[in-house]
Formats: sequence, C-alpha cells, structure tokens
Amino acid sequence: MARDRGPFTLDNPWPRIGWWSTGGLLAVAVILGFIVLGREQQNGPTLGTWTAICRALGITADIGPAGEPQPPLRTPSRIAWTSATLAQVAGGNAEHGAFVALNCTACHGEQGVSQTGLYPTLAGMDATVIYKQLDDFRSGKRSWGAMNAIALALSPQDSADVAAYYASRRNGLPPVAGERFQAGHTLRESDPAIRLAFAGDPARGIPPCAACHGPGAQKLGAPQLKTQPPDYIERQLAAFAQGFRRNDINEQMRTIAVQLSSDEMHLVGQLYGAGAAAAQVAGR
Amino acid sequence: MQNSRNLALWHYWVAFGTFLPAVLLGAWQMLMRSPLPAPLDDPDAYYASVTLHGTAMAYVVTTFFAMGFGYAIAATSLGRPVRGVAAAWIGFFICLIGTVMAVATVFAGKASVLYTFYPPLLASPWYYLGAFLLIGGSMIWVVLMVVNMTAWKHDNPGRPVPLAMFAITATALLWAWAASGVLIELAGILLPRAFGWSDLIDAALGRTLFSVTLHAIVYFWLMPAYIAFYTLVAEAAGGRLYSDTMGRLTFIMFLVFSLPVGMHHLLADPEHGSGFKFLQSFLTFLVALPTLLTVFSISATLEIAGRHRGGRGLLGWIGALPWNEPMVLAVGLSLVMLGLGGFGGLINMSYAMNLMIHNTSWVTAHFHLIFGGTTVIMYFAIAYEMWPRITGKPLRSKRLASWQLWLWFWGMLITTIPWHIAGLMGQPRRIAIFDYSIPLVARTAPLVIISVIGGLVLLVAATLLIIILVRSHLGERVLAQPLRYALAVNPPRQVPAALNGFALWNAILLVTMVVTYGYPIGQFFFLKSHSVPAIEVTSQESAPTGVR
Repeated sequence: MARDRGPFTLDNPWPRIGWWSTGGLLAVAVILGFIVLGREQQNGPTLGTWTAICRALGITADIGPAGEPQPPLRTPSRIAWTSATLAQVAGGNAEHGAFVALNCTACHGEQGVSQTGLYPTLAGMDATVIYKQLDDFRSGKRSWGAMNAIALALSPQDSADVAAYYASRRNGLPPVAGERFQAGHTLRESDPAIRLAFAGDPARGIPPCAACHGPGAQKLGAPQLKTQPPDYIERQLAAFAQGFRRNDINEQMRTIAVQLSSDEMHLVGQLYGAGAAAAQVAGR
Repeated sequence: MQNSRNLALWHYWVAFGTFLPAVLLGAWQMLMRSPLPAPLDDPDAYYASVTLHGTAMAYVVTTFFAMGFGYAIAATSLGRPVRGVAAAWIGFFICLIGTVMAVATVFAGKASVLYTFYPPLLASPWYYLGAFLLIGGSMIWVVLMVVNMTAWKHDNPGRPVPLAMFAITATALLWAWAASGVLIELAGILLPRAFGWSDLIDAALGRTLFSVTLHAIVYFWLMPAYIAFYTLVAEAAGGRLYSDTMGRLTFIMFLVFSLPVGMHHLLADPEHGSGFKFLQSFLTFLVALPTLLTVFSISATLEIAGRHRGGRGLLGWIGALPWNEPMVLAVGLSLVMLGLGGFGGLINMSYAMNLMIHNTSWVTAHFHLIFGGTTVIMYFAIAYEMWPRITGKPLRSKRLASWQLWLWFWGMLITTIPWHIAGLMGQPRRIAIFDYSIPLVARTAPLVIISVIGGLVLLVAATLLIIILVRSHLGERVLAQPLRYALAVNPPRQVPAALNGFALWNAILLVTMVVTYGYPIGQFFFLKSHSVPAIEVTSQESAPTGVR
C-alpha cells in the first residue's frame, strides 16, 4: 500500500497506467487536431505542416480584428462647393461664354432652348449646375454621347464662361428667385405627382422635389426643372434609379429615384415639364 | 445521521423550495414562446425569467442538493459525526445570502443576462456578488468533504474509503475545479467592470473561463444521480452492487474527463483556433467511457437483484424487479432518458455536427432531457430515500411517489422531444417572441404547443413532489431503518491507493488542464485582446422598444 502512494512514481501500475494513457490520448488528439486534420482544407490545397499548426492555434496572416469589407473608393463628382469653386463660377465671362456656346446650339437649341426631349434646356439654368455637369462630363463622372468629348475640349474657365452665358439668358427656364413655394399641398393631396413634388413620401424616405429643385427653393448644384422637357426629366430619373447616372454628390437622387415607380417618374416629368412645349415654340 | 440531520434537511429544503417556483417560471416561458396567449406577455419579463430559472436550477437547486447529500453521506457512510458542522452552517448561510442577493437583483430587472452571464452583457454588481457568494460559499463544503474523507482515512489506515464517501468527495473536487473558471471570471472580469473599475470587458476571455465551468458543472449536477446508481439502487432493488471497483473508476474518470473539454461549448466562437477546439472535442468523447461503464454495471446490478428475486430467462429478471420502489423505478426511467439524451450529446460535442444545431432549441432540449430528466428524477428518488431517514417519518404513500416519477418522466419527454425537432427545424434559442405568421416559423407552432403541454405536466409533477415531502413531514414519527449503502458482490478489503484517494488524479488533471487550457487562456495575455464595450442591462430602458 505505502509503496504505490505517490502520484509521480511511475514504477507502480496505477500511476503508470494513468500517466501513459493520459499522455497517449493527448498526443493522439494533438497530432490529429493540429497536424493531420489541420492540413486538409475543404476548398483549397493541403497546407504545410507549419501553416496548419499556426492555423490550429488561431494564428493566421490576417490576425487582428476583422475589417468591414470596403468597396473601392468612388467619388460621385470632382466638384466640391468650396469658395474657390464658387468664385470661379461667379467670375465667368458671359461674352466669352457666348462664343463657347456656339458648340452647344446643334443639340441644345439656337437660343439654348431644347427642341427635343433628348436634351435639356440650358437657357436660364443656374451657372453652378452647368459648371458642375461640364466638369463631371470632363472627368467621366457622368457619361452621355458627345458630351464627354466636348467637355474635355473645354477648360474650367471656358466652362465657367459658358455657364455664365446661359445663366444670363431670360428666354428659357424661369429663375427660381422670386417664385413662392406652393404651400397647401400635403400628404393627403390626391394627385400623386403634386404630392411627390411638394410633400414627398416620408414612408419611403422621399423628400419633396421642390425642396431642392423649386419652385420656391433651390439647393446648390440642383437644376431648376420647370419647363425642362418632360421626357428628359423622366429619363434622368430612370438613369439615377438604375445606377447609370451616379454624379449626385450625396447619392440623394439615386436614393430617391430607386424608390419611384416608372409611373411616378412619368408623372413627375409631366408635372415639371408642363410648360416645355410652349417654351420650345417661344425659344426657336 | 447524528449532528448532520438538520444540516442535510435545511439544504434539501432550500433546494426543493427553490425548485418549484423555478419550474413554474419554466412552464410560463414555454407558454410565452408558444403561439398560445400567455399572461404577462412581455419580453423583458421573459429574459428576467430565463435568468432566474437558469440561476435557480443550475446554481441554487443543484449546489444545495449536492451539499445536503454530501453531509448526509459523510455521516451515514463513514458512520461517525461530520467534522466541521459549524463551518458547514456558515457555508450554508453564505450560500443563502448569495442566493437572495442574486434572486432579488434579477427580480428588480437589473440582471437579465442569463445564468451563463454572456459578457459583454453586463448586470448589476449585486447579481455577480450574489453568484460569487453562492458558488464561493460552497467551497467550504468542498473543503469539509475532503477533510472528512482524509480524517477517516487517517483513523482507518489501510481500509478502503466507502464508495459513497469516495464518490461524493470526487464530486466535491470536481466542483472545485469546475467553479474555478466562473469564480475567476466573476472576480477578474465581471465584478471589476460592474463596479466601474474598468471601461471595457474582455468578452472572449470571460467566455473561455466560463467554458471551464460550463461543461464540468453538468457533471457536478449529474454526480448525485450516479452516486445513487452505485450506492442506493442495489439495496432498494434487493441485490448487490456488481462491482465496487467499476464505481471508483467511474467517479475518477468523471473527475478527469469532465474538465478539459469545456471548449466544445465554444465551437462557433472566433477567439480560438481549430486545434484546441478539436482537442477538447476529442477528449469530450471520453466521457462516454464512464457513462457506458455505469450503464453496464447498473444493468448488471439490477440483473443480480432480479435473478435473486426469482427472475428467469434472458429478460425475465427485468419483470422481477420491485418497480414499485421509487428508487428502482427512478433508475429505470433515468437510464431511458440518459440513453436518448446521451446520443443527442454526441452530436453537440462533435466539431462538425454541432454546426447544425448550434444555438438552436435542440441544445436547450438536450440539457433539459439530461439534467431535468436523468439527473433531477434521481434527486427525487434520493429525497424519497433520505426523507424518512432524516425526519424519522416515512413517506405516506410510495404509490404517489411512483406517480410523481412517472409524471415527471412523461412530462420531460413530451416537453423535450418536440423541442429537439423544433431545434432541427432551425428554431433559435434565447428568443422571447416568435412571429408565427412567418411560414418558416409557423411550422414549429404545433411542436411548441406540445412542449407547453409537457411543461404543464412537469409543473404538476413538481407540485406533487412538494406535497409528498410535506405530507411526510406532517406524519407520525416511526423508527426508520438506517440508510444502508449497497454491498458489492465482492466487497473490497483493500484497494490500491490510486483508487482510494485523489492525489494521482488531481495531478493528471492539472497537467491535462495546462495542456488543454494553457494556451487558449494564455493567448489573451500576450497575443490578442478582445476587450469590448459592455452592454448594460441594468436598466430596462437601456434599449429602445422593439430592439430588446
């Protein structure tokens, strides 16, 4: 009895059995877990022994907190509304702009009033809007037909000049300034286009169009829409919704347009473009 | 029973007094999760209730029951007064104060973190302090069990320690090893954060430390049942224990194999590599050894008793057993549930298969079947065996006791079998409200309703238990037979020192623990930190409605 008392005396049967079986089991489990099974990968080549051991210990090359997967950085526009940018737009030379604008007349109309739903009316459009769109075409942030090549041929100063020229024209889009916001339209408004334009749809996170595009209000860089050809407005909404057009700085138009049905796009286009036909005749 | 009579009785009454309201909470939770209307239909109340149910069942009922059982065994099996009764009473009151603190905090709605704590969830420090006192206080019992066994060995050199005492000491040591994880987690991680001494909480280290406790604790719960298997069943069945040595080996193996395996509760956790998960998953399978050894030797023991009572033929001995004895009936029902639950456990511990059922109702159903079924039904049988010996007042009706055991058995099967299936269908656990209008969820509705019925049967059975025990108290005192432990077919005259003490096995366990847990715990101190901001659940308004 006294002989086999110590737990570490290996010449006695029980400690010997206990230690050997424990050591054997641990060895088998370690070899299986850290080497044999660790090397086999379900969807990849078999690992080297050292890599397998490190993986089994939880040490991998990418150890550290898992990062959120980051999409490649993409800016919607090169334009930021800094005071330098605004100063350049404000300093546009309308006389030189009139010369530059000769390039535009083939599509946008002799007087800057578009005669077709394919192109927007430029006459009367805010200068910041034209300047930004030209820069976006130049940098490839917005793509459409010949516009990218035309914009590349223009310097930033040329853009500011032609923007100043069209902004000074009084025969096209009515200026926002002086118009009053059309109060009285609420979510209970029955005409869906008027409801969207003046009250939005909070349930879908859609703000009223008029809050940025007028009438009665304008945000920097947002074009006024009244008397713009309805087909053009509708097509731009569709382009934003489908992601073909992505140069809205805060992704606001893509967020809104993706929530609109094609019927709603059509109705909003009709609402804002109501005076377009008359303007086309006048602007010939 | 001498000086330990009141000690054991008080421990038992705290355990069973906690048990009934905890079953009531469990039944309500089943109702709350079901498509049926439930009173107090509130998710906050649900999580407070889950915390209370878990804390009561996992810590209070089991710890008090094991402690009371330990004192009763120390007195009866060694045949002499328990040493350190004053310390035992101090331990009792520390545990009781801890229980009251923890329960009151949960009731106040400031500790809905579930009994496994789940850092970075953070409860009021009073809850953690209560749990610390309850678990820490039971360490006095651990010391007393070791002291009593050692003193007896010293006074009886060369004689084998009675199997019951050997087994309850193994249980005490197992609990000391197991509790080390949760005590370190409470003292080192949760309490400092709860008191505001640190800003962050190392959730991964906390979970790893708790895994040391989390699996061994279920064997701590199970051990009293196994002690009854080995030491009380043979006597009740009118036979002899098949093998004393198998009993000793079983308890030694449970001590060694139930500890270095807890990481199979972390198989889906990111903070550990696959190697240690596999290692501990592999070692977990060894727990099948003492379990199968027990099933074999208890079946053999019952066969000896059955043949002794005149049973003939291949299976005739089964019918010859005294099934009207609560202890015999309980062991039969317990082994059926152990069989069903044990195979479920093999799936849980498998590294690959676990992914199918991880965090689903399957897991909850599994541990209810094993703990609520296999284990607790033996607690009942032990109570029916012990009560007459402690109080001197026999049970009024063994028939009613048998009814109670049958009700509990069927209630547990009706509850857990549909619950398992719902888990396989993907029903997640720890969810207060299910939207049964979703087609995927609607499929589980009939199963959940059947589980609710099982829960109600369990509630009836638990109430019946208390009625039986109280009726026994109100009865007349008669001279009770002293508690006799099973005699082995070959009673041991001398056993090797390795089977008469725990020095060797503690040394082996220490080395195994260092191998299996040294790196997984150590890595947090030199490789990576997982400290994250805590999520306080101390005020119920912490989360906006709908996010809770």
